[in-house]
Amino acid sequence: MLYREAGQFKTSYGADQAIFPILQDRLFVFALIVLAFLAPVALAAVAPGLAQYLFTEVLIPFLVFSLAAIGLNILVGYCGQVSLGTGGFMAVGAYAAYNLWLRVPMVNDLIIVFLFGGLMAAAVGILFGLPSLRIKGFYLAVATLAAQFFLDWVVARVKWLTNYSSSGSVAVGNLTVFGIPIETPMARYLVILAVVVVLTVVAKNLVRGHIGRSWMAIRDMDIAAEIIGFRPLRTKLLAFAVSSFYVGVAGAMYGFLRLGAWEPLAFDINRSFAILFMVIIGGLGSILGSFLGAAFIVLTPIMLNQLPGWLGLRMSTALLSHLEFMVFGAMIVFFLIVEPHGLARLWAVAKEKLRLWPFPH
Amino acid sequence: MARTSHATAEVLLALENISLSFGGVKALTDISFDIHKGEIRAIIGPNGAGKSSMLNCINGFYHPQQGRITYKGVTRQQMRPHEAAEQGIARTFQNIALFKGMSTLDNIMTGRNLRMKTGLLAQALHWGPAQREENEHRAFVERIIDFLEIQHIRKVPVGRLPYGLQKRVELGRALAAEPELLLLDEPMAGMNLEEKQDMCRFILDVNDQFGTTICLIEHDMGVVMDISDRVVVLDYGKKIGDGTPDEVKASPEVIAAYLGTSH
Repeated sequence: MLYREAGQFKTSYGADQAIFPILQDRLFVFALIVLAFLAPVALAAVAPGLAQYLFTEVLIPFLVFSLAAIGLNILVGYCGQVSLGTGGFMAVGAYAAYNLWLRVPMVNDLIIVFLFGGLMAAAVGILFGLPSLRIKGFYLAVATLAAQFFLDWVVARVKWLTNYSSSGSVAVGNLTVFGIPIETPMARYLVILAVVVVLTVVAKNLVRGHIGRSWMAIRDMDIAAEIIGFRPLRTKLLAFAVSSFYVGVAGAMYGFLRLGAWEPLAFDINRSFAILFMVIIGGLGSILGSFLGAAFIVLTPIMLNQLPGWLGLRMSTALLSHLEFMVFGAMIVFFLIVEPHGLARLWAVAKEKLRLWPFPH
Repeated sequence: MARTSHATAEVLLALENISLSFGGVKALTDISFDIHKGEIRAIIGPNGAGKSSMLNCINGFYHPQQGRITYKGVTRQQMRPHEAAEQGIARTFQNIALFKGMSTLDNIMTGRNLRMKTGLLAQALHWGPAQREENEHRAFVERIIDFLEIQHIRKVPVGRLPYGLQKRVELGRALAAEPELLLLDEPMAGMNLEEKQDMCRFILDVNDQFGTTICLIEHDMGVVMDISDRVVVLDYGKKIGDGTPDEVKASPEVIAAYLGTSH
């Protein structure tokens, strides 16, 4: 690394168990968060057109999907329960939030709306988590796939949920947080960033405490976990609830702050797969990995799409989009071969090596 | 050197007429024995004799079709494993059952889970009570780490540790629960002489320092005869011997089971 951690001794267990035990890491992350809040604001003042694109197409999707990936990672990576119902739970979050916003105008503050979306998703998550006591592994994946299809069906068929709109699409507007109107892409970005930062810290706290250990114990060896006193059903359902809460909040934010108007198709099975890929490529059982995976899945297609333009190559749109799929697919395979444990492990290994650099060991 | 026995006359666990079968296979037939508080009780027998099944019955993982189990004066019919854990029964496994993706420290911390009470919200904030609780239990776990001399592997994922150390970590996880009754399923299987000596020392020290009652399954007769107060011998799911090591060693039935009989 560019720094040495030599001389940083811990004198309390609290300090030893901090999220970032090394001072430089703490400073770096703090600086990164400050930068994430301030830099786009500065950019919006200098180049509004570029900033708008950056917010809507890059940063907002990245953050929203990072949150969804953290949610799924809690379930799949930490608790070991494979789920393909992420899109469905995002839909629950989005439509629950929509209905609260629509029908109870007194509480149209976005934070409450998102919270409600998350809680409803958690409730539905618990319901669909019940089979997990009996069903494991691939079979659970199939069971959660049923959740995806069922929830898709519900939002398409139960007209009340979409306020009887003929096409099934819903739209929101006049959004506020604490009475402040959220209209510009920048404001939307800042709201999402704040929510993601808070929920990331919460997720990290959960997974490093006894609740996180109970999830990992169930993941690594459920019989032993039960014998030392963990209750499998309770532990798994808590993971389903927390995971679905995150996914639901992400779904609500995606609908309200990214799309503004959406139809059930926005949360179809492809969404579930995309988020599962983020978790696998980023690294199972890693919060950092959720961000890396989301960045990879969201940003790589954009980069590939823009790259020929930047290089001055002219090609047809059709060829470009085919190339994008091919290269993207090849990159996924490449990363999985190089590091099956995901980008987070790649990062950890690099960090470990750099720590000793220039000495081999 | 003869060790001082900590066995008392008080019965901690009594098993009466336990029978367990899986379909047509009788794993245990009409077995009765008891474990006194403070003693080291060994269960021995050839492979497939039903030793592990016996432990599984004690900690509620199997439910015997017949018989009564009385633990601390309370007789029970059925019990879930987590209830056994709550009542102070901890165990280790024949094939190591550690949580491979977690560090040594986290593995031993899971042994404290029944004593960690802070809820979801406090955990989410990791502030005040949650942090205090975490630190208190960490301090306790550090004492176990010192006791088992595994300070150097505190932060290493257990999947990367050699076999002998994994066994030691598993013992640590069981100890973290501060059990009254500790069930050890072949704690020395697959170890070399030196590792066995270490493990024997730990088992005796646990019994000595914490007063923990220990029930162990072991194949190494030298170890069993040296460290246990009383031995129960199983063969084909039946009890064929029960008594002090010397009594058991002299029993003709036990000798027949181990060495075979001439016909």
